[in-house]
Amino acid sequence: MPAEGEVIHDPLVIAGREFSSRLITGTGKYDSPEVMREAVLASGCAMVTVAVRRIDFDEPGEDITAQLPPDVLLLPNTSGAETAEEAVRAARLARAGGLPDWIKLEVIPDPRYLLPDPVETLRAAAALVDEGFTVLPYVLPDPVLQKKLEEVGCATVMPLAAPIGSGRGLKLRDSIRIMIEQAEVPVVVDAGLGSPSQAAESLELGAHAVLVNTAIARADHPVAMARAFRLAVEAGRAGYLAGLVEEQETAAPSSPVGGTV
Amino acid sequence: MTGTIVVNGREHELADGETVAALLERLGVGGRFALVERNGEPVERRDYDRVELAGGDRLVVARPVAGG
Repeated sequence: MPAEGEVIHDPLVIAGREFSSRLITGTGKYDSPEVMREAVLASGCAMVTVAVRRIDFDEPGEDITAQLPPDVLLLPNTSGAETAEEAVRAARLARAGGLPDWIKLEVIPDPRYLLPDPVETLRAAAALVDEGFTVLPYVLPDPVLQKKLEEVGCATVMPLAAPIGSGRGLKLRDSIRIMIEQAEVPVVVDAGLGSPSQAAESLELGAHAVLVNTAIARADHPVAMARAFRLAVEAGRAGYLAGLVEEQETAAPSSPVGGTV
Repeated sequence: MTGTIVVNGREHELADGETVAALLERLGVGGRFALVERNGEPVERRDYDRVELAGGDRLVVARPVAGG
């Protein structure tokens, strides 16, 4: 543990690449690309997710990547894929077109809870790693699946805290704790975090990073909320590194017991 | 004209010798990234100005959009 006041060099490292922030943000659900840009800047994040979609030539919209700072890594996702084959197809399309060969792998057949398919995710992960992709899979917090994803060469494992966009926080905390305990690649808590305190809690638990979208983008003031998440992630990580006290069943006085007047 | 192609589900006339790059320009696709799949196979960006399209080709043209 570094001395008080010492500047800590404590980057998030994924696949050998250092990131200056442990907050990853999504670019979806903002009211405008301009607000998204300001929120990304305020969040201090060094990696953002994007989706890949067919262009509607009747309403082509604008290129959102033009809004993003050039030093922020674009992480394309495979959203929309319901099978391993569809996910691999999306990843190949993204890479061929010049996007990074980093891919947020999500294979989601279930529209109500948006829960990822573990079997298809593992199949796709193995195929994509074989093709040279850096694979960051979105999963249910399953420590057994985590090991299998590590074995095939995934760069992170990204368990959901609660269903996407639900804002319910660390509902699956105990399973995520086990994943952190046995992690050989970074654990990124992805989806379901609704407040900065829940992000801080994830980092205090030992998660290496968090990925947040809805909680920032749909806040009343997204740019201010992005800053709040940045501070919470920094606080949570600092608290984790400082070493939390163990919980006790009973009270332990903070003032001297004897010598009372 | 040398036939028709289908782009994102819609039929287009194909110009003689038209490349992927020429098609993207004709369709007004700008921005940093245009992602192209031809008959189910991704086309490498560095090949856009070399790959000539053929009548009957089916293309997907995509790009990054906001997402989580």
